[in-house]
Amino acid sequence: MKELWRNAHVKRIATIALIAAVVTIMTGPEGNGAEPTAGFTGSFASHVTFFGLFTAQRWLVALLMTVVVVVLTWSVRYVNRSWSDRTHFRGQAVQAMTSMIQGSKRRSKFKSTRYVFFAIGLVLAIGLPHVITDNSWQTQIVQQILVYVLLAIGLNVVTGFAGLLDLGFVAFYAIGAYTTAWVTGALPTPPPFHTHLNTFFAIPFAIALAMLCGVLIGLPTLRLRGDYLAIVTLGFGEIIYLFANNLFGITGGATGTNQIPFLSVHLGALKYQWGLNPVPYYYLTVGFVVLFLIIFSSLEHSRVGRAWVAIREDEVAAESLGINPLKYKVMAFAIGAASAGFAGVVTASQTLFVTPPTFTLQFSINILVLVIFGGMGSILGVVLGGLFIQIFVVYLEHSPPSGYNSQDLYMYLGALLVVMMIFRPAGLFPSRRRRREVNQIKAGTAPDALLTNIGPHSRVQEET
Amino acid sequence: MNGFIYAMVAIGYTMVYGVLRLINFAHSEIFMSGAFASFFLMKVLVGNSTPTAVESILYLIAGILIGGVVGAVVALGIERVAYRPLRRRHAPKLAYLISAIGASYFIYNFVGKEFGRINLSIDAPYTNNTVFTIFGASVQTYYIVIFVVGVIMLVSLERLVATSKLGRGIRAVAQDAETASLMGVNIDRTIAVTFMLGGFLGGVAGFLYSIPVGVVYTMGFTPAIKAFSAAVLGGIGNLRGAVLGGLLLGVVESFSVAFVNGAYIDVVAFVVLVLVLMFRPTGILGERLGRSA
Amino acid sequence: MSSLLFDVKDVTLRFGGVVSLNDVSLHQNRGEILAIIGPNGAGKTSLFNSLTGVYAPQEGTITFTNGQGKTMSIIGKKPFRVSVAGVARTFQASRMFGAMTTFENIKIGAESHRGLGAVGAMLKGPRTRRDEHHSDARTKELLAFVGLTDHANTIAASLNYGARRRLEIARGLATSPEVLLLDEPAAGTNPTEKLELVRLIRKVRDEMGVSILLIEHDMKLVMALAERLYVLNFGSVIAEGSPEEIRANPAVIEAYLGSVDTGVAEGTK
Repeated sequence: MKELWRNAHVKRIATIALIAAVVTIMTGPEGNGAEPTAGFTGSFASHVTFFGLFTAQRWLVALLMTVVVVVLTWSVRYVNRSWSDRTHFRGQAVQAMTSMIQGSKRRSKFKSTRYVFFAIGLVLAIGLPHVITDNSWQTQIVQQILVYVLLAIGLNVVTGFAGLLDLGFVAFYAIGAYTTAWVTGALPTPPPFHTHLNTFFAIPFAIALAMLCGVLIGLPTLRLRGDYLAIVTLGFGEIIYLFANNLFGITGGATGTNQIPFLSVHLGALKYQWGLNPVPYYYLTVGFVVLFLIIFSSLEHSRVGRAWVAIREDEVAAESLGINPLKYKVMAFAIGAASAGFAGVVTASQTLFVTPPTFTLQFSINILVLVIFGGMGSILGVVLGGLFIQIFVVYLEHSPPSGYNSQDLYMYLGALLVVMMIFRPAGLFPSRRRRREVNQIKAGTAPDALLTNIGPHSRVQEET
Repeated sequence: MNGFIYAMVAIGYTMVYGVLRLINFAHSEIFMSGAFASFFLMKVLVGNSTPTAVESILYLIAGILIGGVVGAVVALGIERVAYRPLRRRHAPKLAYLISAIGASYFIYNFVGKEFGRINLSIDAPYTNNTVFTIFGASVQTYYIVIFVVGVIMLVSLERLVATSKLGRGIRAVAQDAETASLMGVNIDRTIAVTFMLGGFLGGVAGFLYSIPVGVVYTMGFTPAIKAFSAAVLGGIGNLRGAVLGGLLLGVVESFSVAFVNGAYIDVVAFVVLVLVLMFRPTGILGERLGRSA
Repeated sequence: MSSLLFDVKDVTLRFGGVVSLNDVSLHQNRGEILAIIGPNGAGKTSLFNSLTGVYAPQEGTITFTNGQGKTMSIIGKKPFRVSVAGVARTFQASRMFGAMTTFENIKIGAESHRGLGAVGAMLKGPRTRRDEHHSDARTKELLAFVGLTDHANTIAASLNYGARRRLEIARGLATSPEVLLLDEPAAGTNPTEKLELVRLIRKVRDEMGVSILLIEHDMKLVMALAERLYVLNFGSVIAEGSPEEIRANPAVIEAYLGSVDTGVAEGTK
């Protein structure tokens, strides 16, 4: 019996069966405490329509799809391997021939294709409200998709560029939103200088406050190693949630506030009032997404961006070159916080209310999934990945297939995280450099600093 | 007395950290699974009846066993699915943490989906009476149970790690995995066993914790974070440290009840964590698992 | 010119119960090529780490004087501050930024000391662009200096040992240091590469005016390159002097007895 178990084929079959079973149960109907087996038996008994083609038992369909996916991955890997074996030698020759001058030309050619894609995307984005004219859909697009993408771009700076796992990112979003409410007089606490400000002026306040918090949190904690930092930031996020929920006098407590005025601009000649119509908000958010894209992209290719990569790859070596790791980490944190704070203003001024349940750990994780799925460190990847997942999520909410409950979302996101880490840790659209890093690690040639660390502090001590 | 619970869960964190140098973020779900498993068992065994003293003890033991075993199984599952593939691929530390988060989210939402998302009260295996009073504080059955079980578990684990071949293997891998494997220690199996041991204790802790408060699919999160703080407080990677940290945190929390508003009690553990990490990151007893015995 | 560069006085470094450096005193003069030798575990890398702020010795003082004559204490300073003060170093196991190209590796060194922060970086103003031109130019210079121009766009992880060493040297030089600390630069290199290395190190001192402090095991290399040596054993300085003096020093010979590539024993015949 034991020999049977050790056999690789048996293992493979068993794994496939297990995956299929899990998928069946995952997508099947719910159970509850009184009938614990209801979920399981119900799942196996239920039928599902396979994209309208045929109806079969759920487990059968799951098994079929699992087998198909496995076979596909095998064949892709097989093709890749034989292909790269043949081109490996050629690849080295090409590299040897590439001179510095050629190199810069190559970089610019790559850039121009990017500009083309960017232009196409921009046109699509501008035209979208004319295609989707339903108001509620439009609001959804802004709130459920664009804001998430905005936040993902911000988290990408912290996690993707600087390599810091921030599980409390939602806290900065909350700070932005609550600051908006405060400044416009919607909170029980009176706004600063006892004047109700225009929502537009909430923007600098929110950004400043978020950045300040980012720096305050970052200074003591960014010295810590990855996992410890994650837990500490998680705790911070939870604390902000607790404060929001309980400080009734300051934040309106669990009910929050719903008196935030619409966004409006009154700067001399420049006057515009946003209102119930979601389309102007849509354009505003798209505009800011583009703005952040540009700013963060130029940041990525600046000495700050390079310093982040250096710190991420080998902090000790970076420090020996005069790079102050703490300064750059705090900088990343603050920039990420600023963008999240800004997103908070957008949300607050469109939905007009701010309540604690929005700002949970789950939200941070959701954004994290977007960043990881799209490709940590790659702005384009994050945008695409974020759009992909969020569009899918919104779709699922509107027309959920049988057995899907909106609360199940995080179950799927969790599974997605695990799968991504195992099979494609660099994300779906990783930056070139990140792909190189991942390949290095797979080949076992990564510098030790990327792999090992001892103790809570991130400095690696060398032997005598 | 929550301190013992924290201690048992903290052991799970510390042991995994000791051998893998990573924080098993998904440990919270091990805790929760053990609680759920014993919940179902108690439903079957106790139902609506009020058990006699002898029956209580039997039910307790059964609950402990089931909670522990399920905890160990879930821990093993997590190791197999979320961590081992990463080890094969030499993944960076960050990947383990992200995978753990994913596993955690998957597990608790899965349980929520299958078993309902409302808080379910457990059919208690014993009747909770005040057994005696000491210094004006009433000591209830609950505390005695936790105390006794806690002591038994912790002491047995200590002896196991200190004296058995298995324990030596664990300590060896914790100190130097490469050399250990050269000496013939099966790394994969040792890691699996480490997870299972930590998982067993975590599951038992889940069972004991849930008796007064019931089970709900999100129950793992807060106690786990506190237990993690306890593990860091005592010295991560250090078994005795985990115990010490757990007990100490329990005491600190009990005292804080007097000063701190109810909702903020959970913050105490977090504050402790941050303080420790800032001023004495290796914890009270220091970091090495090898030194614990 | 014998102005002092490094002045190490009575430095003791302990790790728990282990004494890594025991009452060590030494100094380096500006413009010297100084070598620290000694058997494995003698404390050489600990010394380097102390000189660069990675370790903070419990006793003693380490002072560094930069090109402007300003003296400062190294102990207690963070490594990046020591780097900004003018101390560059390489590592025993080459620590390059593996996923970046050679060019990028050096460029990071070139721009790390400059002041402009995030805002300037984001807005790509004229000053930022000028800085970047400057860094690019300096990187190209250094690539030519160490002979890595052909590999400018190669991913650093795929460079061979000799190239890696040269990359690390170039990267260190990019920070415009007063002194370059080399930790076993010849380790793992073949004889041709070793020759190149000697030539390069001399070039660094002669053409760039950067003093050199190196740790090495390869005696032939050390004797050919160093103008003065210190010999460390079990954390203490057991000898100091010119190559000829060291070769004849009985304490040194005794310390090295049994090691393979000394060349010291041969020299005394």
